[in-house]
Amino acid sequence: MNASTIVANRPMGRLRKSIFHDTGSRRAIVSLILFLVFWEVGSQSKAWFGVQLPWIGMVPAPTAVFSAWGPLLLDPSYWQSWWQSSYRVFFGFIAAMILGIPFGLLMAVSKNYRDTVFPVFEIFRPIPPLAWVPAAIIFWPTQEMSIAFVTFYGAFFTVVLNVIGGARSIDVRYFQSARSMGANGWDIFRRIILPGTLPSIVIGATVGMGITWEVVVAAEMISGGGNSMGGAGGGLGFFIWNSYVGGSYPQIVVGMISIGIAGYISSTIIRWIGSRATPWLRMR
Amino acid sequence: MTNPTTTVLAAGSELNEERIVALLKRTAPFEPLSDQRLREVASIATPVYLKKGDLIYTVDERSDDVYVIATGTVEHALGPSAQATQLVKIVGEADVIGWAALLKNKPARLAKTTCLQDCEVLRINGQHLIEILAHDEASGREVMTCFAKMLMNEFTVPAWLSQVQELPRKVKVGADGLETANLTGVSLTMFRIAQWLKSPRPYLMLLGFTIFIGLWYLLSEGWHVWRFDRLPGPVEVWEEWTSRNPVYGISLFTPEYYTHIWYSVRRIAEAFFLATLLGVPFGLFLGWSRKFREYTFPIFETLRPIPILAWVPLAILMFSGTETPVIFLTTLASFFATALNTMLGVESIDESYPRAASCLGASKWQVFRHVVIPGALPHMFTGLQISVGVAWFSLVAAEMVSGQYGLGYLIMTSYTMVSYPTIIIGMATLGIVGYITSAMVRIAGDQMMQWRVRELALGGSQ
Amino acid sequence: MNAVIQSNAFEAKQRERNMNTKGTKGAIRIEKVDKVYDPEGAAVKAVDTCSLDIGAGEICMIVGPSGCGKTTLLNAIAGFHSISNGTIYLDDELLCGPDKPKAEPGPDRVVVFQNGALFPWKTNLENVAFGPIMQGTMSKKEAFEKARDMMASAGLNGSENSYPGETSSGVRRRVEIVRALMNDPKVLLLDEPYRALDSLTKSVMHEALLDIYYKNKVTIFFITHDLEEAIFLGHKVVIMTTRPCRPKKILDVDIPHPRDYNVLTSKRFRELMDETMEAVHEEAMKAFERGEKEG
Repeated sequence: MNASTIVANRPMGRLRKSIFHDTGSRRAIVSLILFLVFWEVGSQSKAWFGVQLPWIGMVPAPTAVFSAWGPLLLDPSYWQSWWQSSYRVFFGFIAAMILGIPFGLLMAVSKNYRDTVFPVFEIFRPIPPLAWVPAAIIFWPTQEMSIAFVTFYGAFFTVVLNVIGGARSIDVRYFQSARSMGANGWDIFRRIILPGTLPSIVIGATVGMGITWEVVVAAEMISGGGNSMGGAGGGLGFFIWNSYVGGSYPQIVVGMISIGIAGYISSTIIRWIGSRATPWLRMR
Repeated sequence: MTNPTTTVLAAGSELNEERIVALLKRTAPFEPLSDQRLREVASIATPVYLKKGDLIYTVDERSDDVYVIATGTVEHALGPSAQATQLVKIVGEADVIGWAALLKNKPARLAKTTCLQDCEVLRINGQHLIEILAHDEASGREVMTCFAKMLMNEFTVPAWLSQVQELPRKVKVGADGLETANLTGVSLTMFRIAQWLKSPRPYLMLLGFTIFIGLWYLLSEGWHVWRFDRLPGPVEVWEEWTSRNPVYGISLFTPEYYTHIWYSVRRIAEAFFLATLLGVPFGLFLGWSRKFREYTFPIFETLRPIPILAWVPLAILMFSGTETPVIFLTTLASFFATALNTMLGVESIDESYPRAASCLGASKWQVFRHVVIPGALPHMFTGLQISVGVAWFSLVAAEMVSGQYGLGYLIMTSYTMVSYPTIIIGMATLGIVGYITSAMVRIAGDQMMQWRVRELALGGSQ
Repeated sequence: MNAVIQSNAFEAKQRERNMNTKGTKGAIRIEKVDKVYDPEGAAVKAVDTCSLDIGAGEICMIVGPSGCGKTTLLNAIAGFHSISNGTIYLDDELLCGPDKPKAEPGPDRVVVFQNGALFPWKTNLENVAFGPIMQGTMSKKEAFEKARDMMASAGLNGSENSYPGETSSGVRRRVEIVRALMNDPKVLLLDEPYRALDSLTKSVMHEALLDIYYKNKVTIFFITHDLEEAIFLGHKVVIMTTRPCRPKKILDVDIPHPRDYNVLTSKRFRELMDETMEAVHEEAMKAFERGEKEG
C-alpha cells in the first residue's frame, strides 16, 4: 500500500467513498470487538488464568462496567451529575464565546488595541487553566462561580486566537471589492469581517468545547477530590472521583465513558450549528 | 533639478565620482534610486574613453556589462534576432546601452554599437548592478521595470525579449519586510530592535502591561475593592518572590522553589519524549496505511474524547506509586495530539509527491523515508506544539490531584496552607516555564524545516 | 530567447541532423483501452476503446476538454491507475493488459505533474539527483555531479541550492523536467505542465522544452487543452472526445522541426489551427453542456 492511495483521488473521491465506507466500518466493528475482548480477558486474567496481567489487570472488566451501568441508568443522581456538568460546560462555553468573539474582533480591527492588549493576553496563555483553580476559589464567592470561571478561561483563549486568525486570513480583495461597491466601515464589518471570520469561530468553538469538558471534569475532581475546599461539587468529574474514593471501580469507567459520550454529543452539536451557520462551506 | 554638469563636456576631462553620480541621476531607468544607491552604483562603474569609430561590442558577444553614455553619440544597430521594429537608433548622453546584460537568461549581445564621436562611457557590470539593486527591493524592482519599458518603447524590442532578470531575493526581516542584504548577525538584531523601537508597538505594549499591573494593584492593594482584596497584590507577590526570607517559604532564593520546577520539567520531558516516541510512528502509520488506520483509528477515536483528568482514578489503580500515574496521564494527553496531527500531516501530502517519487524509481520504503516523513513534518511540529501545551495542562491537573512536588502541587498546597502569594508565584512560574518549553519545540521545528522557513520568509510560494 | 536565439550555425546544423532521426526508444502502443470507475453502482466510463500509436521519439500532444479522461490515460501509462480492458505496450513490452491491470511505475516513464511535484523539502539539486540515488544506479556524488551538469546545460545554474519554494514557477518547471531526464527515461509524460504559467513564461518554456527535446530525443506524451501549444510543439496532435475519452481526430503536424516562435505566425500553423479548431470546440461545447468540471 502506497501513500498515494490514502489521499482520496479527487475526481473519484465521491464515487469511491461508499465502498470504502463499507470496508471501513466493517473493520471498525472488528477492531472495537477485538478491543473489548482483549480488555475483558486482560481484566479477568487473575480470575481466569490465575496470573494478573500488568496494568490492564487492574482495570474493571467491560462486563462489570456494563452491569454497573444498568442500575445507574435508573438512578436520578447519575443523571444529576450529567446535568450539573452539562450546564457548567454550557455556561462556561457561552461566556467564552460572548466575551471572546468581540474581544478577538476588536483586536483584529484595531491595530493599536491589539498592540496594547495582545502582549498581556500572551503572557496569560501559557498558564494552564487548572492552575487558576485555587485563585478562582479565593476570588469568587461560590464554588460554582469559580468552576464557571475556570471553564470560561479554558475556552476563552482558543476562541480569541481563532477569531484573530480568521479575521486576518480574509482576502484583502474582499475589502477592496466591497469598498469599490460603496460599502462603509460598518458594512465591511457586518458583511465581510463577520462572515469571513465565522468559519474560524466555528473551529475555535469546536476546540473550545473539547477544552471546556476537560476543564470541567478536572475542576470537579479537584474541588470534590478530598481537598479542603468543602462544598459539594457534583458533576461527572465528581462522580468519578467519588466512585474511586468509595471503591466502586466499575463506576469509574462508567463515568469516563459517560463523559466521552457527553463530549462527543456536544461537539457534534457545535459542528451541526457551525455547518448551519456557514452554508457556503458545504458546497465543496 | 538643474545640474551644472548637464552640458556636454570636452572629451578627456576626468569622470570623477560626483560627475558619475550626477550622470546616473539623469539616466532615466535609475530615477527611482536614492543618492546612496546611486553612489554604490557609481562605485562599480568604470569610465571608458573611446575614439570616433570604435566598436563597443557587437552581436553575439558575451553580455556582461551595461554601458551608460556620458558624452558623445553612439550608433546602436540591433541584429535580426532581437525582432525589433526599428533596428538602428542613435543614442547619446545619459542613455543606456548593453542592456542585454540585464535580461532574463542573459542572451548574447543583440546589437552592434559604434561610436559616432569621441565618447566617454561608463561600464557597469550587470550582475553587480543587480546585486546593488537587490539591496532595496522596491526601488530595485522599479529600476528593472524601467529597463523593460525602455526596451519596448525606445528600442522597439518585443515584450517577450524584454523580460529582465529577477532580483535575487533576500530573506525578509520582521513583518515590515525590510531588506537587509548587508546586515548580518548582531547588526541585524540591532537593526531589528531599532526598527521595533521606532514603531508604536513597544510603547503600546508597555501601556498594556502598565494598565494590567496598575489595575491589579489598585483593585487589590490600593483600594481594597470587594473580593479583589482577597487576592495578593503585585507588590506583595513581587516582594515575596524576590525575598531572601520569604514569609511563606517559596522565593527565587529558596532551593525548594527549584525542586518544584525541576520535578515538573522532568515530568514534562519524560512524558513528551515518550509521547513523541510512540505518537509519531503511530501517526505516520495511521496516515500511510489505510488498513492500519481502519483497524486502529476507531479505538483511538473512542478513547480520545475522554478528558485526560477522567483517567486519574484509573491511572492510580493501574499504576502503583504516585509518579507513574502522573507521567501516564501527561503522556496520554501528548500522545493523542502528536499522533492525530502526524496523521493529518501524512494526509495533507499532495498525492503527486509519492507518485513522483515512485515514478523516479523510489521503493515503498524510500517513499516513506523521503516523502511521507518530510511531508508530514509541518503538521507534526504543529502537533508537537499542541502536545507540549496539553502536557502542561494535564500535568498541572494531575499534580494537583495526586503526586508530590511539581508546580501544580505547589499551587494546590499553597492554597491549603493559605499562602496566597505563593499561588501567584507558582502560576507565573508555570507561564514562564511553559512558554520556554513551547519555544524550544518551535525552534527545533524551524531547525528541521529550513526549506519551510525560507519559503515562508518569501511570503509563501509564488 | 533561450538557446534557440543564442544558437550559432554549428548547433543549428547539428540540430537539423538530429531532427531526421527521431529517436529509437519509447514507442507506446495503446490498444482498445477502457477504464471504468466504480464497478459498483454508478459506473463512469472515463476511457472508451481508446487506441493510439505513438512512435519512438515522437512528441504526441493530447488535446481535449477538461476532465475528459486524458489524465486517466496518462495515469495508466505511468502506472498510477489500473485499466479495465485493453493493453498498453512500451517498445513492444507489455505495460498493462488483461492479466496485469496496473503497470508498475518506473523511471522509464517519468511524469511531470500539473501543479508540479518538486519536493519542497529538498533543494533543486537534491530533487534532480533524487531518481538515480533512489534507484541506486549512481553514488550520491556522481548523481550530484551529473545533476549539476544537467542543470547547467538547461541554464539553471545558480538555483541549485535554492529550495523550490524560493524559485520562480518557470524555473521550477524546468527543474522538474530536468529531474525527469536525469533518469534517461524512454517516455516523458507531461500533464498540463504549463497550465498555471502566464503566457510569456509559457512561450519561454515551450522553447526550453523543444531545446531539451532536441538534445534528448525522448518520446513525449503531453496533455494540454491549449490547441496552439499542441500544434506548436507536437509531431502529432490527438484530439480527444469528451468523456468517455477516445481519439476523435489525429493531426500530423507537418511543420518541420526545429521550430521557434516564428512558427506561430506562419501560414501553415494558422491553417492547421483552423483545421482542428472546430473539432476541439465541438467537444468543448459538449463537455460544457454536460456541466462537467475538473474535480
